[in-house]
Amino acid sequence: MRCEKVRLKIDAYVSCELSAQVRSAVEEHLKACDGCRQAAATARQLIVLGQTLPTPPVPDGFAQQVQAMARQRVARPVPTVASWDLAAWWRMVSMPMRAAAAAVLVIGLLAGLAMGWATVQAPAAKPSAQAAPQGDPLAGYNLDYLGDAPSGSLADGYMALLSGLNGEGN
Amino acid sequence: MSVRSDEDLMSAVTRGDLSAFNEIVLRHQKLAWGIAYRFLGDRHEAEDVAQEAFLRILDAASRYKPTAAFPTYLSRIVTRLCLDRARKKRPMPTDRLPVVQNGDVSAAERMAVLDRNRLIRESLDRLPPSQRMAVVLRYFEGLDCRSVASAMETTVKAVERLLARARDTLEPLLAELSEE
Repeated sequence: MRCEKVRLKIDAYVSCELSAQVRSAVEEHLKACDGCRQAAATARQLIVLGQTLPTPPVPDGFAQQVQAMARQRVARPVPTVASWDLAAWWRMVSMPMRAAAAAVLVIGLLAGLAMGWATVQAPAAKPSAQAAPQGDPLAGYNLDYLGDAPSGSLADGYMALLSGLNGEGN
Repeated sequence: MSVRSDEDLMSAVTRGDLSAFNEIVLRHQKLAWGIAYRFLGDRHEAEDVAQEAFLRILDAASRYKPTAAFPTYLSRIVTRLCLDRARKKRPMPTDRLPVVQNGDVSAAERMAVLDRNRLIRESLDRLPPSQRMAVVLRYFEGLDCRSVASAMETTVKAVERLLARARDTLEPLLAELSEE
């Protein structure tokens, strides 16, 4: 058993709270480790200190003071409500609080209605692309990559060169 | 007349029986006070915390379930209140532990006891709150590691680590006390 683990178990060891197996392992380690033996001695000293240091007496009148406070609390209970008990909460809160809660609810509903109305009333969006010419659905997108290059253009000349033509179809 | 168990008393408190609550306070006031005083080191602070712990038990009586022994439940509340208080301010050790006042104890001996107590108090106050609470519950209240873990709402392993670190810090104190 390593020192780190033994140091954690030292309190339980000196108080005889360990199982027989773990206790035996700790004892084996303590035979060979001065540091951990010192830790065990410290734990024993602390236990003795705790047991022998005088316990301060409870202040006079402590229980009576608590009793008096308890009577006051019982006489004026703090409203507590179980979760989701809305009706009980409504009955318990003051009138201003009820008014505030109702106002928040109404404002929220009105805001929701207004946003919904605005959405319904907004006109449909116009198409952003130009209207395609009749018979050519792609022309509107200017994607005429498959068509012939305009006559006299660089692309037309290049194509003629590649195809062995002289640009005039010969 | 048979003594009512803590659980029976808490059931009565749930039904609004203040005399049962009074019985709970009388039975466990020493535990609450002891933890609070040892941790905070100040009589007034400790009294506040211990009283508040009982009042919180009263407030939460309807939700009380005896899943742990009542002293563990009380320790948990006192621990939580002490740690909250420690996080808000550093405790000022203003008290001395009581010294037996009798003619057999000389002035020199009384001074020695006061110095010893002051030394212990100062050493405890040097510990971080979590280590200090673990030391108070383990060595001064005599709880086993599992009960300390329950009171501190943490794991046994975490408690073991806290105690190991606290022991390292308190070793010089113990060496000094041994020399006296």
